[in-house]
Amino acid sequence: MNILETRNLSHDFDGLRVLVDVNLVVEQGEKHAIIGPNGAGKTTLFNVITGTYKPSSGKVIFKEKNIAGCGPYKIQRQGMGRSFQITTTFDDLSAFQNIRLAVLSKRGIRFNLFRFVDKMDDITQETVEILQRVDLWDDCHTPAGLLSYGKHRCLEISMALATNPDLVMLDEPAAGMSADETHTAVELIRKLTKGKTMVIIEHDMDVVFSLADRITVLHHGTILATGSPQEIKENKEVQAAYLGQLEE
Amino acid sequence: MKKSTRLTVWAIGLIVFALFPKFFGIYYSNIIVTFAVWALFAVSLNMMLGFTGLLSFGHAMYFGTGAYGTALALTHMDGLPLIPAVLSGGVASMVLAICIAPLVVRVSGTAFAMLHLAFAQFMFVLALKLRDITGGEDGLGGFDIPPLQIKGLFSVDMADPLCFFYFAIAVIVIALCCLWFVTKTPFGQIMVGTRDNAKRIDYLGFRVSHTKAIVYIISAAAAGVAGSVSVLHQNLVSANDAYGMMISVFPIMMAMVGGARSFFGPIYGAAFFAMLEEFTTRYTDHFELILGVVLVVFIMYWPLGFAGMIMKLKYKWLTWKQSRKSQGSAS
Repeated sequence: MNILETRNLSHDFDGLRVLVDVNLVVEQGEKHAIIGPNGAGKTTLFNVITGTYKPSSGKVIFKEKNIAGCGPYKIQRQGMGRSFQITTTFDDLSAFQNIRLAVLSKRGIRFNLFRFVDKMDDITQETVEILQRVDLWDDCHTPAGLLSYGKHRCLEISMALATNPDLVMLDEPAAGMSADETHTAVELIRKLTKGKTMVIIEHDMDVVFSLADRITVLHHGTILATGSPQEIKENKEVQAAYLGQLEE
Repeated sequence: MKKSTRLTVWAIGLIVFALFPKFFGIYYSNIIVTFAVWALFAVSLNMMLGFTGLLSFGHAMYFGTGAYGTALALTHMDGLPLIPAVLSGGVASMVLAICIAPLVVRVSGTAFAMLHLAFAQFMFVLALKLRDITGGEDGLGGFDIPPLQIKGLFSVDMADPLCFFYFAIAVIVIALCCLWFVTKTPFGQIMVGTRDNAKRIDYLGFRVSHTKAIVYIISAAAAGVAGSVSVLHQNLVSANDAYGMMISVFPIMMAMVGGARSFFGPIYGAAFFAMLEEFTTRYTDHFELILGVVLVVFIMYWPLGFAGMIMKLKYKWLTWKQSRKSQGSAS
């Protein structure tokens, strides 16, 4: 079954065509990577799917429903979580509070004005469990903005996953990380997304090839090829457009 | 802080308030009521400013509507009991907020601030021009303050300043407790999240506009109650005292001086303003001038206000205590 499908998805910014008839298919349970040179339209594709922009034309089918044009909060509630390329956390709140907000969202607690949040033991416990699992427990009282870069990124990814989405969209999770940090992040993503469907944008080819079951190559806003990592490596067109550039 | 020490602090505070009129007389008690009204008003504004990140240049709109709401209710409805009179102020502001909220929650930042300036000025002009209803420049005054009573059980005369002192403090403390509770609920967390990063709140599945709207309405209702208590205290409301520009600006300054990031910050700010006004007006008419200088100094040197200073001192004290402890165990 396809959990996510885009049909002839196009998007332009004031006449600049960024996405042209993109037909992306993500199957239930797979780890799908989207790669492509800078400016290929990867993040725009993410933004259109997760509701930042309303697409100029085309459909986004998520769980057999067209979600094109819905706001981010609506799409999130359908079960799609995302992380950002530029870390987007609540920087003045502690790591604990950051994760707790995600847990509240998961439980659908939105307008509860009648209980002390600190006394909701089930929420606290779940938050603590998540913090321990992602190795942020030692820093749970540190404001997110003061965490080290690696840990901050880790929090960013953890928040996307703490809402327990059916489909998680990670936008360059390893952006700007050192080799060590990248390794830790890959292990973390592998651990947390076990059994989940994931779409990931990544520039680091080691990350892509170690995480993805299937890869889609985006180039000038269109899909150049889709296939297994092996197929993509051997695809002549892809080599010319993308991997070839790296070897020069 | 330990629970027992916290309770002690609250108990001492309560006793001080209870005995205050006895020791300081009615003049200073009236100053305390004025301070309490400002404190509630500033905290209500800070629910938006410090907790949700919405700066409004026209919060007087809700203070004034609360004041006029109560004044009009008391003028036109004979035999209206005291508690409904106070509530009518809060409800009037709440209704106004519900009407305006769908429009203003769509904007933020400068647009939000300036839109409120416009709305507040609009209300100001309305209060001036609708002379038949609001009394224009003269305002509304001279209405009877109903006693606090349960028929056949007891009746407390509110025209007695001493009784009114206790009543006003009680109403304001209850309103403050309600607001404080809101900040401690799951919704309070979402509010703070909206201030920190509205984008992430959206992507976490919370609807930013609804969150803002609810904070907005709560804040308006609290400001209305503040206005209502103020009009009962003064027995007079006029356009300038209700919707004037400075009425919008003072609570912002109180929040800045007291510390907008803390719930109690604006209360410290209001206390500071009350004291400053009391002392400076003895020597000079230019209270605003001194206020301006104070504000500049605070923004330059203590942007987190009194609450930030207290936090810093507490932190220093804790680290000092810890270092002493570790030294002690080492030797």
